[in-house]
Amino acid sequence: MINLTINGLAVSVEKGSTVLEAAQFLGFPIPTLCHHEGLTPYGACRLCVVEIGEGPGARLVSSCTYPAEEGLKVRTASERVVRARKMIIELLLASCPQSKVIQDLASAHGVRTQRFRQEYEDCILCGLCVRMCSEQMMAGAIGFRGRGTERSIGTPFDVQSDVCRFCGGCMHICPACQLRCTYNQPEKAICNACANLAPPCIEKEQYGDMMCYMNPCVACEIK
Amino acid sequence: MEKFNSINGLQEFRSRLLAQFDPRVPTLVISAGTCGQASGANAVIRAAKRVLLRKGPACGVRLRVTGCHGFCAMEPSVLLEPRRTFYPKVGPDDIAAIIDAAERGDIVESLLFVDPQTGARIEKQDDMPFFKGQARTIIGRNEKIDPIRIRDYILNDGYLALTRALGEQNSGSIVEEVTASGLRGRGGAGFPTGRKWGLFAAQRNVSGKYLICNADEGDPGAYMDRSVLEGNPHSIIEGMTVGAFATGATEGIIYIRTEYPLAIKHLRIALEQAREMGLLGENILGTGFSFDISIVKGAGAFVCGEETALIRSIEGHMGEPRQRPPFPIVKGLYGKPTMINNVETWANIPIIVSTGARQFAERGTEGNSGTKIFSLVGKIRNTGLVEVPMGMTINQVVRDIGGGAPGKRKIKAVQTGGPAGGCIPVSKFDLPISYESLKAAGSIMGSGGMIVMDDSTCMIDVARYFMAFLKDESCGKCFTCRKGTQRLHELLEDIILGRGTPEHLTLLEELGQTVRDTTMCALGQSAANPVLSTLRYFREEYERHINDKRCDAFVCKQLTGAPCQAACPVDTEPWRYVALVEKGDYEGAYRVIRSANTFPAVSARVCDRKCESRCSLGAGGGEAVAIRALKRFVTDRVDPSVYRPEPAQDKGRKVAVIGAGPAGMTAAHQLSLLGYRITVFEAENISGGMLTCSLPAYRLPRDIVEKEIESLMNKNISIEYGRALGKDVTIQSLMSQGFEAVFLAIGAHESLRLGLENEDVEGIFPSIEFLKDFNMRGKELARGHVGIIGGGNSAVDAARIALRQKDVTGVTLFYRRTRDEMPAHEEEIEAALEEGVRIETLVSPIKVHAGEGRLAGIECVKNRLGGIDASGRSTPVPIPGREFKVDLDTLIVAIGERPGSGPLASMGLEVDKGGRVKADRKTLETSMKGVFAGGDLVTGPNTVIDAVASGKNAALVIDRFLSGRPLVEPAKPKLPSVYIEPAVFEESEEAPPRAVPASLPPSERVMNLREVESALTEDQARMESRRCLRCDLEFTMEQPAEKTAGAAIGGVRHD
Repeated sequence: MINLTINGLAVSVEKGSTVLEAAQFLGFPIPTLCHHEGLTPYGACRLCVVEIGEGPGARLVSSCTYPAEEGLKVRTASERVVRARKMIIELLLASCPQSKVIQDLASAHGVRTQRFRQEYEDCILCGLCVRMCSEQMMAGAIGFRGRGTERSIGTPFDVQSDVCRFCGGCMHICPACQLRCTYNQPEKAICNACANLAPPCIEKEQYGDMMCYMNPCVACEIK
Repeated sequence: MEKFNSINGLQEFRSRLLAQFDPRVPTLVISAGTCGQASGANAVIRAAKRVLLRKGPACGVRLRVTGCHGFCAMEPSVLLEPRRTFYPKVGPDDIAAIIDAAERGDIVESLLFVDPQTGARIEKQDDMPFFKGQARTIIGRNEKIDPIRIRDYILNDGYLALTRALGEQNSGSIVEEVTASGLRGRGGAGFPTGRKWGLFAAQRNVSGKYLICNADEGDPGAYMDRSVLEGNPHSIIEGMTVGAFATGATEGIIYIRTEYPLAIKHLRIALEQAREMGLLGENILGTGFSFDISIVKGAGAFVCGEETALIRSIEGHMGEPRQRPPFPIVKGLYGKPTMINNVETWANIPIIVSTGARQFAERGTEGNSGTKIFSLVGKIRNTGLVEVPMGMTINQVVRDIGGGAPGKRKIKAVQTGGPAGGCIPVSKFDLPISYESLKAAGSIMGSGGMIVMDDSTCMIDVARYFMAFLKDESCGKCFTCRKGTQRLHELLEDIILGRGTPEHLTLLEELGQTVRDTTMCALGQSAANPVLSTLRYFREEYERHINDKRCDAFVCKQLTGAPCQAACPVDTEPWRYVALVEKGDYEGAYRVIRSANTFPAVSARVCDRKCESRCSLGAGGGEAVAIRALKRFVTDRVDPSVYRPEPAQDKGRKVAVIGAGPAGMTAAHQLSLLGYRITVFEAENISGGMLTCSLPAYRLPRDIVEKEIESLMNKNISIEYGRALGKDVTIQSLMSQGFEAVFLAIGAHESLRLGLENEDVEGIFPSIEFLKDFNMRGKELARGHVGIIGGGNSAVDAARIALRQKDVTGVTLFYRRTRDEMPAHEEEIEAALEEGVRIETLVSPIKVHAGEGRLAGIECVKNRLGGIDASGRSTPVPIPGREFKVDLDTLIVAIGERPGSGPLASMGLEVDKGGRVKADRKTLETSMKGVFAGGDLVTGPNTVIDAVASGKNAALVIDRFLSGRPLVEPAKPKLPSVYIEPAVFEESEEAPPRAVPASLPPSERVMNLREVESALTEDQARMESRRCLRCDLEFTMEQPAEKTAGAAIGGVRHD
């Protein structure tokens, strides 16, 4: 067992646990976007940062990937953490304002202004779908490509993947609703899974052979 | 190649090589790294081989082709061993002469390096300023070794460290040796290497351990690793083998950029040779120890220099960093313990192990031992690889070794540590270089890139460049790094495009801090450094971009427009009148000039031509358009009556202007046009201020000034002569007479004093007094041998005026720096020399000798140039023992002037130590309400055109003040707005050289005051105007509708 303190409370966790798991065990809320219990931690969205260490050596780390270490002192809501978190949400809001998940996050953290140039992107590259595809669905049909501003998610060479089983797991887990929003542009959807399923909503007559797995169906909500 | 089965075998081989080697044989060493080859080393090598072949075996000269020697600015260079003669920039045609001379035991004098400071030729490499201050323990070995010949390496103590290590019973002692040396990771982070080795050696009971050499050198402008790999690949192999023996590693990998083909080739050859000789692979030197190295080529992602990303890249995955812990030392490549060191770190290992830790630690400072290689690039004279002991100051590296900035430019900052590093301003150049000091200054050591920047570098542009690099090279995994760098870049772009607001700065800082705090790897954590460090040291530059919409480096196009226009203090549009001259519309040209400048004919003669110094034609390596000469052509031809603005209706409000110089008369004129009633109070009996009392008539004829001032007069202006401020009028008395505002422009008329004993004896004159007495009263104060102290325009004026006085036998000017630093206009200095003035540079007066109450002479001391001071120029440092005496009959002190502001202080105005009235830079407000000040009174001695600009501004501000509007209005960039058809050129037409106006020959001008320079002829002027590149067209031509991105700040409020 490993002993550490979080916000002043001592806690013992199994070796191999992450700081996020330890904090959740104690009930401290830490917002996450790219984290999912059933998938390996990735540390892409940085929303779960917490402050560790003390004095000038104190620094922020992503709690979902940082292993619980003996004697570690963690603060989950210090001023520095809150400031960073708000800026991250502001950045998210500037890129993906249409995502319900991000709107809720902004609301919950009191982020009411967004000062950057407004973008309307449909992916925050959290990688949940990639991990879902390879770890849970054992397919590995999609992955990251490119780096920096060119980074994107897709199949190799944008060719429909042979190993994709159209399970829709990627759509199910997406927090920024990329796939929800591309329902009527089948050529833009990553795996075209939706094109093989039956439609639940009447508006999509022209795509009579499509269905959206979302609950609630955001496509229908947006209109 | 023979294979050695024992340590002794190798040592015997080395002794054999040593016995065969004759160090006295002259050898041409040709520097042929990638950089050398790019500048033509291959042709030199071919030429050398041809000559040697022709001479046959009887020729006693040998040839050695090696890696880079480091002095890039002088490539291709040839070093002649054993004399160590250095030949810079050798061409294939020079080689025969060099070989012939070498055969005779001689050198070719004419091909030697010329020291730009002294002009003397320097023969030996080790005497050259670039090499003298260095400690070239690593890079210096390059010149001894042909990288594809292992014998060369063995001959130069190669693999000595390996034999020593293998001879040790206990491998732990090697780790102790490295620990004792104090070596720290040269990749940039500075982690103690010995500690890393200790931790790695402690990883036991595992089935495999990896050593990696990180040769993924990706910083723009940094190439020391490449030079080591190309020039001395065996040192890396030896270092890694020793490291493997010491820590029990089983396999080594060199991760190198594909962009380094020569380094890869040399490494491959070296690995092959080492294996063949039994120095690598199974059972090394028969000791039973096995270790092999393979090469992995990186695909050029910057982030793969980060160790966890590098490991993933080797494994065949995408180069993406991961969370540490676990550290690679515990869990690295393929999950096995892995130790990664930088190329330079590995190159240090053989030196430490063969010569001992103690000797290594003697170099450098406590905690920062050894040497570090920097690649010194950018706006610096001696670009190249520089290896210096740690703890050397930046000043020593940039100034002494780098030779300072080329030309008259001033060094502003140095950027260290690559894209993720930071900028260190010149005020911090006395910082000793160490990992900690650079970090504290907001930068990092990084791999050792050092980019020097001068005043033609815009720091915002620099920050933007690095952010553009980082936003493309961020792996993109961490949201804050990917999006953060992109947003930072966007914000900087906004500022550069003139859309910046103060909020941009807040946002830059907040976001920069978040990026630094919340990202996973070192790349992200330091990605905001370019922004944060420039914001820390160059905030004023940011504010200037945002508030004044100006880029003082003339880099940001949207803030600069046409450089000539942006450079002009009075906002003249030089491109416009130059274009009109080309069309033959001289009156139109005059109107363009006069509408911006109240003193066109005066400026046409004495303006310091900021426009020409910024002309794109000049900046591109050619000669600037002769803008002032064209202005002279126009003003000589066109009568001022073509531009006569009518004053607006009298508002019945009174403004007082003190001083009828260029600033005062400009303000009076501009205000009168707005309908104010102006009274100008002038202390002398003649108007013109400095124009008449200080400027010599041969530069500026008196009638020109009179005519110009006459044309500025109208019914709203009256001048009262002989009314001095403080004596005849006071601010209070003016206010009580109903003047609603007062503009003070009394200039700077008090000469500074040397502060030496005997300064008040007869025969010594302050320059202003000397010039005034001559210009206004015709008194000739100088006689005999005249000395002038100073290097500015008034010093040169005084010298040339003295030469025109009848009792003068000779004139000598003494200046404390070199001629390059003299602030006077180059052509004035030139003219003075032509007329017979002697100029002594690097001289300071230290004593005044007097006899019978009269000047007898002065004692001077010779100076040398020292470090760069806060003004960006080199400080003169007296050389002890180099004092000398000069006999003089007259001494004129022209080391600067200060305003005679004594009476102002007593009237209640705030005045600073230099006698300058404290006034707001933009609003010209002084500490008293309604009183404004401008011109030299505020700035100290300055140019005519700046005084005119100040007068123009004063009129604007006073008008706003009197009509109750805010004094400052939001700035807008000054961009060209009028389209003028460009000239048509014949395809075959060759660009003519810059037009030079005719001038009187020196013999005809010395004894009189006739104007020296005449105007261009019409043909000359028309030709000259065609040379203009018309930078304005970029802004005035009809552009196809371009999709421009919106402002980076815009955002949405969600409440």
